[in-house]
Amino acid sequence: MNFPPDSPPAAQHAARSASSDADLLTSHIGGDPHAFSEIVRRHRDRMWAVALRTLGDPDEAADAVQDAFVSAYRKAESFRGEAAVTTWLHRIVVNACLDRMRRKSIRPVADDELVEAAERDTPMPDQTGERDVSMEVTAALKLLPADQRAALVLVDMMGYSVEDAAQVLQVPTGTIKSRCARGRAKLAPILSHLRNRSDLSRVSSAKGAELRDG
Amino acid sequence: MTGDTHYDLEILAELAEGLLDDATAVRVREHLAVCDPCGESLADLAAVREMLAAMPVPAMPMGVALRIDKALGAEAETRKAGGGLRLDEAPDWDRIMGDSPWETAPSLPMTASTPATPLVPAARPAPQPAPSLPEPAVVGLGVLADDGTIVPARRRKASRRRSWAMPVAASVAAAAVIGIAGASVTMLSASGDEVRPGDHNLALPPAPPSVSSSTGALGPGSTTPGRSYVISKSDFNYSSDVLNGPLATYVGATGPGSDGAPSVDPTVVRCVTKISERVGKRLHSETAAKPIGVDQALYQGNEATVMAFWKDRLRNAVWVYVVDSNCANMRPPAVARWQ
Repeated sequence: MNFPPDSPPAAQHAARSASSDADLLTSHIGGDPHAFSEIVRRHRDRMWAVALRTLGDPDEAADAVQDAFVSAYRKAESFRGEAAVTTWLHRIVVNACLDRMRRKSIRPVADDELVEAAERDTPMPDQTGERDVSMEVTAALKLLPADQRAALVLVDMMGYSVEDAAQVLQVPTGTIKSRCARGRAKLAPILSHLRNRSDLSRVSSAKGAELRDG
Repeated sequence: MTGDTHYDLEILAELAEGLLDDATAVRVREHLAVCDPCGESLADLAAVREMLAAMPVPAMPMGVALRIDKALGAEAETRKAGGGLRLDEAPDWDRIMGDSPWETAPSLPMTASTPATPLVPAARPAPQPAPSLPEPAVVGLGVLADDGTIVPARRRKASRRRSWAMPVAASVAAAAVIGIAGASVTMLSASGDEVRPGDHNLALPPAPPSVSSSTGALGPGSTTPGRSYVISKSDFNYSSDVLNGPLATYVGATGPGSDGAPSVDPTVVRCVTKISERVGKRLHSETAAKPIGVDQALYQGNEATVMAFWKDRLRNAVWVYVVDSNCANMRPPAVARWQ
């Protein structure tokens, strides 16, 4: 017996890699069985970052991202192209997270192994001081109301513009700014003791720029 | 504003965002020029932004990526099947399929020489997580009892919301793959084909025997007098892809050489008998069909018993039944390739 190559021909694959997200989504709607996988491959890390930070819990984040991608797979036809595919995907992921936060009380199980896996796979800065900062920031974020947290994740953590965040969350830009302002005001006293622990201005400006430019 | 002397953090944060009206902004700025504590607060606010921006960007863990591939693979199958029915709606497949001639079932390659049907693409890049991999064992939500024990997920009821998206890796809950000794050999000589495992582009999970050997007491397979087939237990988490075949390396992998007499749940035996009779009827045979292999395992993360029966030996076709602990079909009985 002679099995055909399991993957599509290389040329086809290359063409797919060069396609825009919108083209891929169109192909997916048209029945291309590989198109959506490519979209997932392109954006999963970013979606994971958004979900993990919004929810602060790898197990919850995994469920949310999975829900979101499956939902996007099903609802692909509803994408109308007035926004970027990435904006649309972010919206679905963020909504999945917010939805999950609202019914958090029914969450039945935490999976320690998944948590460990997430920690293992997360690049940790070599300075233990920074790891503490990271954990404290994560814990502090959880104290914020969901809408403020979502805004801060998109704008301050992911480095998106206020306009992009407004599109994702489907609220006016002023609302994003206001949520960010209130969220930062709540975080400031909680995190102020970290300010002098590490040379944040040096570390973060490089990293912040990288995030924004990336 | 706190009293007449200082502004609170929220006002300062709004100033930084340009949200204050001009008059207020001017007043706050004038205050900031002379008030060190408020200047300090403003610096704290700026530091918050810096700290948030400095958080490491995590990559999606492999286990999560696999789960998602798996869920999308299941989604693709549903789509391929017309999208009308979803697994989580637990349709009564027996009723739906009851009157159908087998030929109307989803067509699969029946002969060894037919190229394999392309597998569900979303799941393809993901090697099947096998229990022996250090993959996080993900237990489907809703199958963990309050006391921490794993409760067999019940279709229809348990975790309906997630049932279409069961995690790839299954828990270490015991599962049994029932293998038929020698069946694959017989099949091979019948088709004149030879086993070429290397042909598969799929990453095959370790064969059940190696899995079972690590689970100790469960033992890989058992035969008892009066039962002509072997019931094996593997931890393998079957996907729809795998169940399209070839199945010989999975369901048929456990030979009789495996000793030990694990206690086989009598309800499983009864279920196999029931399904065997049903298959026999479908084959218009007077007697019950004989399973080629029975495997207590997992299907998309849920405890399942997988059974294979010959549909047509010469055409390398088997019927595959996947049933839950109540002997109800977890997916429509389907034709698969054996080799």
